[in-house]
Amino acid sequence: MSVQTTGGAAGAPPTERTARRRRGREADQAARGPGGSRAGSHLFLLALVLYFVTPLWWLVVAATKSNSGLFASSSSPLWFADDFSFVDNVRRLTTYQGGIYWTWLGNSFLYALTAGVGATLLALLAGYGFAKYRFRGRNAAFALLLGSVMVPLTALVIPTFVLLAEVELVNTRWAVILPSLLSPLGVYLVRVYTQDVVPDEMLDAGRVDGAGELRLFFQVALPLLRPAIVTVLLLSVVATWNNYFLALTMVRSPELLPITVGLANWQALSSGGAGGETLWNLVVTGAFLSVLPLVVAFLALQKYWQSGLALGAIK
Amino acid sequence: MTTTSTTAGAERATSSPHRTRSGRIERNRQRWGWFFLTPFALIFLVLLVVPLGYAFWMSLHTSTLAAGESFTGLANYERAFTDPLFLGGLTRVGAFVAVMVPIQLGVALAAALVLDTLATRLSRFSRLMIFVPYAVPGMIGALMWGFLYSPRFGPATDLFGLVGATAPDFLAPGTVFGSLVNIVTWQWSGYYMIIIYAALRGIDPSLYEAARIDGASGRQIALRIKVPMISAALVMVVVFALIGTLQFFTEPSILSNVAAGAIPVHYTPNLYAYGLAFSYQQFNYASTISFALGVIVFAFSYLFLFITRKRSGLNS
Amino acid sequence: MQMTRRAGRRAAVVPVVLGAAMVLAACGDGGGEETSAASCTNTIMVEDVPVVTVWAWYPAMEQVVDYFNENNDDVQACWTNAGQGGDAYQAFSTALEAGSGAPDVMMIEAEFLGQYTIREALVDLAPYGAAELEGEYTEGAWADVTEAEAVYAIPVDGGPMGLLYRQDIFDEYGVAVPTTWEEFATAAQQLKDAGYDGYITNFAPNWWAFVQAMAAQLGWQPFTYDSASTEIGIDIATPEAIQVLSYWEDLVDRDLVATDEAFTADYNASLVDGTYASYVAAAWGPGYLEGLSDADADAVWRAAPLPQWEGQEPRDVNIGGSTFAVSEQAENPELAARVAMDLFGTEEAWRIGIEEAALFPLWTPVLESDYFADLEYPFFDGQQINKDVFLDAAAGYEGFTTPPFLTYVYDQGTEQLTALVEGQVDAEQALTNLEQDVGAYAESQAFTVTE
Repeated sequence: MSVQTTGGAAGAPPTERTARRRRGREADQAARGPGGSRAGSHLFLLALVLYFVTPLWWLVVAATKSNSGLFASSSSPLWFADDFSFVDNVRRLTTYQGGIYWTWLGNSFLYALTAGVGATLLALLAGYGFAKYRFRGRNAAFALLLGSVMVPLTALVIPTFVLLAEVELVNTRWAVILPSLLSPLGVYLVRVYTQDVVPDEMLDAGRVDGAGELRLFFQVALPLLRPAIVTVLLLSVVATWNNYFLALTMVRSPELLPITVGLANWQALSSGGAGGETLWNLVVTGAFLSVLPLVVAFLALQKYWQSGLALGAIK
Repeated sequence: MTTTSTTAGAERATSSPHRTRSGRIERNRQRWGWFFLTPFALIFLVLLVVPLGYAFWMSLHTSTLAAGESFTGLANYERAFTDPLFLGGLTRVGAFVAVMVPIQLGVALAAALVLDTLATRLSRFSRLMIFVPYAVPGMIGALMWGFLYSPRFGPATDLFGLVGATAPDFLAPGTVFGSLVNIVTWQWSGYYMIIIYAALRGIDPSLYEAARIDGASGRQIALRIKVPMISAALVMVVVFALIGTLQFFTEPSILSNVAAGAIPVHYTPNLYAYGLAFSYQQFNYASTISFALGVIVFAFSYLFLFITRKRSGLNS
Repeated sequence: MQMTRRAGRRAAVVPVVLGAAMVLAACGDGGGEETSAASCTNTIMVEDVPVVTVWAWYPAMEQVVDYFNENNDDVQACWTNAGQGGDAYQAFSTALEAGSGAPDVMMIEAEFLGQYTIREALVDLAPYGAAELEGEYTEGAWADVTEAEAVYAIPVDGGPMGLLYRQDIFDEYGVAVPTTWEEFATAAQQLKDAGYDGYITNFAPNWWAFVQAMAAQLGWQPFTYDSASTEIGIDIATPEAIQVLSYWEDLVDRDLVATDEAFTADYNASLVDGTYASYVAAAWGPGYLEGLSDADADAVWRAAPLPQWEGQEPRDVNIGGSTFAVSEQAENPELAARVAMDLFGTEEAWRIGIEEAALFPLWTPVLESDYFADLEYPFFDGQQINKDVFLDAAAGYEGFTTPPFLTYVYDQGTEQLTALVEGQVDAEQALTNLEQDVGAYAESQAFTVTE
């Protein structure tokens, strides 16, 4: 489930943003500026960057090494070995167990995108409903929603497994997708953002003109909610992509596993295999390749998520 | 076009009595509210409320290997709250909260404040690099750090060797706490930083100008103006960090594969519940532990939000 | 007004349809069938015959299953690797608890059978012909899978113990290979004094099964248990156990053995790069070593019988070894029993198992064959390790009773051993603590604990 998503929302309401734009960025920056030691600030940032990047750099380097190269005696862990085995590793990754790695990657994509889109849709509908309609039991329902964030996953797993087993959905793709459709934080975000951004007056005007509720939703509200949509979509996609525990318990067949569980299996195989096969280089290369899609997506979609996270100040 | 109020429809009322007209609209609205909620509510009910109910039902029963299952009411809860392993796990996650949350918040806040004052390429690059660990799935991050902490696979031996020291054993019972703190800090600080940074970006810079005219230094502006103005975001970050840390599971679980002695099965309450259920097949008691944990998480979150209610602005 | 109402009614349908569509689509997805061909890792060779699902994690399992499928026209085996050891057991237990999803045939290590028989999760195979197989398995192996007249699993492979050592390291430092534990301690010291940079062997705090086997060598029998009764005998802190654990504690204190956790990447590396001069191993140890890549090319490995205690009756012990059991969720227990009996019930299957997966057979037609006795293992430069070491060890193994909550015992054992190597408890204390913990646990599970 997406309950483990920590959603964030704090930042400029639209009116202040336009005001800022009017000022011009340079004056803006000067106003924020420290006046103090820029060198000190930059050094601090550099130290932080080193801290955050070094493990990833290790991953990149490790993915280029063969099994023997990974053991520190043959080469420094932070620099490349003499033999550049990245292509070899990828080739072995593709042939091992019939290329199951790529199936796993594909599964992760499928689960993340399907659950992400689904969760966003549900969150949009529900958040809009909470925001724009005063119905009986609204506050109670909303409190229930927020409380659900605090439910430990372990409490849910066995009963959900039993439930899904009843309808014969265990060990299918739905077993992973369905629970991931819940994004209570997404509902919260959409509600808060809708309250800010979609004025009641606009909706009432639409009603006066005779538009139906659904049409109002699709044609009036939705375009205004785009940043919220992107944020919730990103949060749910990331949460589902990262999910480990849910897939671990719900899915058994190797060809249905997402990348997280698959790599964990290889890890276990390499550590404890009786007569086992050591797959360290596969685990590391596999981890590296699996991290790439999200990183690339983050880099490419910087604009959207940076503005998306700056939505809905909590009033 | 009327711009006045939500009862716009009432003004069009001619033949029907005023009250019935708005009443009908009210009911229609109510129906629509629930309609929009339905798809989400359906999944919520089926995949959260029902399983939770079943889990609670399970926690009211006890099943032993020798004697089978029987209804025991709240006996399991009594057992849980006197179970030294559960209480020890709670103390431990409490310690994690006390250490990890301030560190993550500190790093995130400091980074965000610094980034807010700079607009150089390095600062933009830094912002991205600090955030990137969030893109690494928690499980893979833990896997990676398992390698990094290893004397053979990881850089520690080399790095410490540079200054002539020997690398400590990161996975020994005494050091694994710090090692876990490091992993989570690495993974999540960037995420919290972005939230705080976004909040900072929303502050009207004219406030700074006014302050600077009054002679405030950069640090004073940061501490006296910026931080109070983003207190809502800070509260939110802390609440989520709190909830996440109290439910600490993935990283200790993965790391226990390489540090089984340092991370016993009852290391955190969530891990304990998992072990009880899946290793010892004590599903009933496992449900009890999960529920007890949930209650505690709820209590603490509520307490924290109550204490900070003026700051968090969660009044809607 | 009217439009609103009509639109309202029309649109009211949408969320309902959304919900219904999802449910329908979910049910329509044919993924619920676990015996469908798509979910097998191996290929089903004969269509339209009953399929028996199997969970196992043996290396080269696919070849064994293929061989079975090729030679059986009336039933096919559908195999998946559902995880190793603990992972697979967790999946199995979950499926049992949920009432569905368990395989027909499950690979279970012999020591863990008790955990499942007590929940009545395994089918008694005696009525399906398993009782006649008693003569085809070693005495110890058969004892581990039977309770009174019932046969709960078919033995597959075993783990009789021996000593695998680096001949080149012992030669280099001029130390003789030990044949008793007393000599072992002396050799450890000699190696260290001669300048050897590593340790004679590793004492892993997370491998309680190892300590159990070592103590069993002195006749230690901590558990008395019979699934028919609710009594359980727990006698852990006995003089034999204290003697054995104190022995290892002494070696740890004198820094003569390493204390790395077993079955991790670092441990694997240390095994093959000369950090450990020997490996007190079970018969699946050679296969484990072979699978570790990039071993030191100059390494010379040999196998020798397990050191014994001076002046004590020599005993053979065992770690690990697995079986095939039939789960109570099997739709056709008779066919499942047949698959369990026949998968590793042919010589060809065992040829694959031995040569591809380095398994140690408990099936006497192969175990007692000349082929197996004379088999030369290239890893040991052609040494006939079975004849030299493991055959005798297997023959002498008498079985070992384990309680129906062995996972708990292992976890507690790990905790006590960790405390031991950290210097927080001594051997006697560790064993007493363990006895108390396990006793308390047994009582909480409604057993009556006797001595």
